[in-house]
Amino acid sequence: MSDDNDSRPVLEVADLEVHYGVRRRRRRALHGVCLTVSPGETVGVIGETGSGKSTLARAVLGLVRPSGGRISVVGEEITGYSQQQWRALRRRGVVQYVFQDPLRSLDPDLTVEESLIEPLLIQGVPRAEASARGRAYLARVRLADDLLGKLPGELSGGQRQRVAVARALVAEPKLIILDEPVSALDSANRVGVLEILKELRDAGMALIFISHDLGSVAGVADRIAVLYQGEIVEVGPARTIINAPGHPYTRLLVGSAPTLRTASASRAEREALRARLQVQLHVRAEADLAPAR
Amino acid sequence: MTGTPPDKPDTVVPADAVVLVDAAVPVDAAVPGDSAVLAVRDVRIRDEINDREIVHGVSFELRPGQVIGIVGESGSGKTLTCRAVLGILPEHLAVSAGSIHIAGRDIGGLTEREWTDLRASTISAVFQDPASYLNPSLKVGSQITEVLRVKLGLGRRAARHRAIELLAAVRLRDPELVYDQYVFELSGGMLQRVLIAAAIAADPQVLIADEATTALDVTVQAEILDLLADLRERIGLALVVVSHDLAVVAQLCDEVLVMRQGEVVEHGPTEDVLYHPRHAYTRLLITEHEQYGLERYLDAPAPAAPGPAESPDPPQSRGRAAQAEQPESAEQPKSPERRQSTDRKVLDGVR
Amino acid sequence: MVRRILGLRAGRVAVGILSAIALLAILGPVLAPQDPLATRPETLAGPSWSHWLGTDYLGRDVFSRLLEGSRTSVLGSVQVALIALVVGAVPGILSVYLGRAFEWLTLRVADTLIALPFLVFAVAVTALLGNGLPQAMLVVGVLVSPLFFRVSRAATLAVARSQYVEAALISGGSVGWLVRRHVWGKVLPPIAVALAQTIGTGFIVVSSLTFLGIGVQPPEPTWGGLLASDLGYLAYQPWAPAVPAALIMATVWGSNLLADAIRDVSGEAGRTLVNSRRARARRLDSTEPLTAGGTTR
Repeated sequence: MSDDNDSRPVLEVADLEVHYGVRRRRRRALHGVCLTVSPGETVGVIGETGSGKSTLARAVLGLVRPSGGRISVVGEEITGYSQQQWRALRRRGVVQYVFQDPLRSLDPDLTVEESLIEPLLIQGVPRAEASARGRAYLARVRLADDLLGKLPGELSGGQRQRVAVARALVAEPKLIILDEPVSALDSANRVGVLEILKELRDAGMALIFISHDLGSVAGVADRIAVLYQGEIVEVGPARTIINAPGHPYTRLLVGSAPTLRTASASRAEREALRARLQVQLHVRAEADLAPAR
Repeated sequence: MTGTPPDKPDTVVPADAVVLVDAAVPVDAAVPGDSAVLAVRDVRIRDEINDREIVHGVSFELRPGQVIGIVGESGSGKTLTCRAVLGILPEHLAVSAGSIHIAGRDIGGLTEREWTDLRASTISAVFQDPASYLNPSLKVGSQITEVLRVKLGLGRRAARHRAIELLAAVRLRDPELVYDQYVFELSGGMLQRVLIAAAIAADPQVLIADEATTALDVTVQAEILDLLADLRERIGLALVVVSHDLAVVAQLCDEVLVMRQGEVVEHGPTEDVLYHPRHAYTRLLITEHEQYGLERYLDAPAPAAPGPAESPDPPQSRGRAAQAEQPESAEQPKSPERRQSTDRKVLDGVR
Repeated sequence: MVRRILGLRAGRVAVGILSAIALLAILGPVLAPQDPLATRPETLAGPSWSHWLGTDYLGRDVFSRLLEGSRTSVLGSVQVALIALVVGAVPGILSVYLGRAFEWLTLRVADTLIALPFLVFAVAVTALLGNGLPQAMLVVGVLVSPLFFRVSRAATLAVARSQYVEAALISGGSVGWLVRRHVWGKVLPPIAVALAQTIGTGFIVVSSLTFLGIGVQPPEPTWGGLLASDLGYLAYQPWAPAVPAALIMATVWGSNLLADAIRDVSGEAGRTLVNSRRARARRLDSTEPLTAGGTTR
């Protein structure tokens, strides 16, 4: 699937397994997930709540310990890393993460500047230099300098999310994982943030864009991976996935999204797809994943 | 790309202040028509703390089985208008002018008690975050029977029976099981269905859905939208759909109000407003929507190659992209006559 | 923070009362007009020019004793609060971060301290360490510390699960960094509330211990001791306990007011409260209409 073989992939996930809980409560969150992200590539991950999108991101960030499989970041295998190794890796800022809700991911008592330059301060960059770099990245997400002294609560939703993106950028990462970055925004702000992501992509940054909003994923991603019940059921070029979905779940997903010019796929069709997915679930009897309930 | 998107945004821009209201919509009718279940006339909402007007005159009328959509960015006054209709404005806000009639009754002078009688049995609402509107320590079923016992005076047994019917009517797969479950055991989509079941339990004529599908996954959103369309078809429920997603409004509504900063800038049938917008702001909203709308990335005319052979039908609706004037799919009856003739009691017969 | 506290009327009153008490504690013994320990033949005398608040049952000048006693009383309660803070709050915060074993241990110790009978423990420790105010206050401080432990642990738990802490963790922040940068600021206000409250409690405890003869030895005056001896002669001077009681009450009230003020101005809710009050005040000041914006939520 990878179309760029001459450079080392930024992220390589192979046969990833993640389980939550212990013994009888043990539930499978991810199963056999394989995903490669090349430098400068944007991969969209779509799927609904509980499909394992966020778990995938958290495993890559070391917040969740996989029960099987391998994860490599820029050629470095990180699966068995200790706490110290993880901290060292994170301090280098190779992988950054942008949360869905910037109101909760920015400390409400710290000014924009403090939050923005925090990764640099952690790395030990002197404050003056960190501030200068922070300013530069704030300009890159099209925010004015006078926001630096404000608190997150005084900003609009769109401004906050841009601050969060700038914060991810200051560490000069190789890969940014964005978890539903535009879901909490209204359409004007959504367009603004997505435009910034496109610029980053064009500047050669590798992005993983997790979302359930097909339109924004289709607009930004080169490739799309579809997660369903903890497994990647389909990966392919964005246009193909949107226009010629192969797996019934992807078809249901595309068919469910209402659009302005075309009504969403007919109800009978959706119901047929749902029924087929149910059958598939029952067939996989050995899976300990109960249907979402 | 085919399809007729709205006029290019850079064509004639009418003055911002001009409010475009379709002549066909009788907003100035002195007496709301008998058929209107909800008539909102020139409602203004004032913030009493700083003495500022927040909503500057909203008017619309809703007949049984009709669906009206309110769109606009956050802070445009959509939600406040709905709260005014439900009589649940925040303490420091008040309706300062205009009138609201629910089923022919002016709600201006209602006492707390009369309000209680009116809510749930005539007008009802569902909101964005279903989990916060349900009590986590009670079984969801008992929260529906509560409505039935208080509003309809049903006995314990009858209420349970009816609640399970309602859960089935909102298409929950295993209503008997869901009845005895708690909030934490159900997914967001299921909770929204439970909430809708509770909202329609006392047979209201109007349901206000304020961003009711915003927090849900697309597949679940589609199911909820189907459900709402279904309810309106079967029991003639009139809906007010508040959303910032134009596509949701396009799919469900007959009429659209576009609000900006407390003002209605455009109001008319969905086809006119969303496909031939006249106000610059409406156009802006549409442009913003389309910039990352799914439609932009769909290779429009060629229907998606149906994957393996088991596909029941290619998504036929895609092929109709060219006919922008009729965005609704065929199974949603649009003629008011048909809808009004549907019997409200049909729901009782469901399973 | 300080400026915001002073912005509230309750905050100003609290700060006023507490600084007056602090002044008393610092200057009291110097200001005392007479020797607080000297006895005179005129016992249980009413107020006069030479004895502003009269004399006690041994003929000692009550006013001088009050001033002399203020230092011991204030120092005692502050000591209680500080010991409780160190013994309670630090493990409370760390219990969230230092792993399961530490968490289990500290929780059990806190439970044990709550279960210990206060007086028995106090008597036992004074028997062990000798009877003196610092020893007694150490005991009280340790016994009050579970309050700080619980308050700080609860506040830390809430912050530790927040996304901004996770974001800092993803950026490579160490536990020390997370605590200093994100946790401390959020945990401080509830701790400050508990601290102010404990200072109030400390006063009552110092007083009641003196009442029981633990901590301060009889000739040395404290507010609680004065109250105790005055109560013994209620039949002769019914008004006498009012003055030390009023001082104790004023201090406790001041502390509680301060605690309330801290709670009101700290955190997101506090900021909104202060801002909305300011906005309302500004509106009352000027009759000009404010610019109409569209914000409704």
